[in-house]
Amino acid sequence: MMKTRTALFFLTPAVMIMVALLVMPVGYLVRFSFFVGQQGAQTAGGFTLANYAKLLGDSFYLGILGRTLYLSLITTTLSVLTGYPLAHFMWKTSKRWRGMLTILVLSPLLVSIVVSSYGWIVILGNRGVINNALIGLGLIDTPVKLMFTNIAIVVGLVHIVMPFMVLSILAALERIDPLLAEAATTLGANRLRTLWHVILPLALPGIGAGTTIVFSLAMSAYVTPAVLGGSGPNFITTLIYHQFVTLFNWPFGATVAALLLSVSVGIVFFYVRVLSRVGALGVQAR
Amino acid sequence: MTRAFHVYIGFLIVFIMAPILIVAVVSFSGGKVPEFPPKSFSFQWYDYALNYSLFTRSAVNSAWLALISTVIAAPIAVAAALAIVRKRFPGRDAIQTFLLAPLIVPSIVIGLSILLGFATVGIRDIFFRLIGAHVLITFPYLVRTVIASLSRVDVTVEEAARTLGANNWRTFWHVTLPLIRPGIIAGMLFSFIVSFDNVSVSLFLTSARTNTLPLAILSYVEFNFDPSIAAISTMLILFSLGAAVILERVVGLRKVLGV
Repeated sequence: MMKTRTALFFLTPAVMIMVALLVMPVGYLVRFSFFVGQQGAQTAGGFTLANYAKLLGDSFYLGILGRTLYLSLITTTLSVLTGYPLAHFMWKTSKRWRGMLTILVLSPLLVSIVVSSYGWIVILGNRGVINNALIGLGLIDTPVKLMFTNIAIVVGLVHIVMPFMVLSILAALERIDPLLAEAATTLGANRLRTLWHVILPLALPGIGAGTTIVFSLAMSAYVTPAVLGGSGPNFITTLIYHQFVTLFNWPFGATVAALLLSVSVGIVFFYVRVLSRVGALGVQAR
Repeated sequence: MTRAFHVYIGFLIVFIMAPILIVAVVSFSGGKVPEFPPKSFSFQWYDYALNYSLFTRSAVNSAWLALISTVIAAPIAVAAALAIVRKRFPGRDAIQTFLLAPLIVPSIVIGLSILLGFATVGIRDIFFRLIGAHVLITFPYLVRTVIASLSRVDVTVEEAARTLGANNWRTFWHVTLPLIRPGIIAGMLFSFIVSFDNVSVSLFLTSARTNTLPLAILSYVEFNFDPSIAAISTMLILFSLGAAVILERVVGLRKVLGV
């Protein structure tokens, strides 16, 4: 066992970089959100709530926020529908295949997001793989517009966030006592009933954890909506970029960023506090 | 398991692999635009990409940034992990959560905070603030892998070393460190990739002159659509998948990712 003094000495550099690089900078960001905002105002001062009033009172910005939540929700739902079967398959498959499947399922996380976004452009473009195939088969005459639509954003988002859903659910499945499913079968339940009444309820903590991670990741994704969603602010993150880089309205950009931060921290807090109380939590928020 | 289930799994695997595989195929095309399947075969886009100074310069920047950030973050993470695993103290869980907090904060918010924070205290050097940001985003992964490998070390081995007369430092250097070295190296490898591939944190911190490779690719794609991006991407894919295999062998990818 380590001496208390040694432990403190070992933790100090870590806590110092967290304070210097996270706590203080985020504090400055929040402070900036209360500065008087105007176009071209990189340095600003004063104190006002006008930025928040503008963000939450203007239908243009509310539209972007609503679209962000809507697309993130669809992405999360699709991640459950794709992630659960994959996790179940990985759970049941032999040890030898599991390692390879893990690398395969996790590859969207390991390959740079600019790479996969470029891949989706090649697939979804007007002269891309899908449109060429459909035209080649004679199913359509003119290309279907897929790029720069909600569909493209959701496809790109599901692709990068789904691995987290798979891993969260797999972690929950691996904690299930194999005897439980066997007992259900012995007592006469068929496979579907065992899945519905025994396995799924026990997988719920994993689905809950996955939903939390996936929703916050989808909401704060930048590259996918920027590349696949087209130009102009169409997502909360691209709105932030637009305010900072195009309009140079730093205080207002900081306000949008502060909102994004509070929503994603709020989701994690809600998950840890509320879901753990109703017992849907076996997985810690790691 | 039924056939329909297997077909669905097959479809999902195609969905996961499609953009990656198609990029790799397109990179060998001989045409001016990415076509799938390519009508002709050539290495011209590799040649172009490897000789285009925008890409090579930003790749060197990214490599230095990833290396320096990892080398700074790793020893700090090892020290913190040692204290967290080897010492029971009140608030230990809170400290651990605090050190993993950069994973909860959206990366675009981290980038902006660093921009505003560093500007407020008067630090305007681009490389300096990039390193600050990348130390912060790689740190939690390092803490997590080192904690994972430390927890697997048998404490009795360390006790044996002390009984035989080794002091704390010698015990760490000759017993604990060799045992956790694979974990540290795996963590550093993953940290290198996290930094090298990052877009949303660096987004606000670079300039036209000092750029990272992913951001150079992103701005190139805005105006050009030739397969040179596919060529670079394929090289990045090979690097990442090679690293993935090593990580899976050494510590297990899931430990590193924490889910």
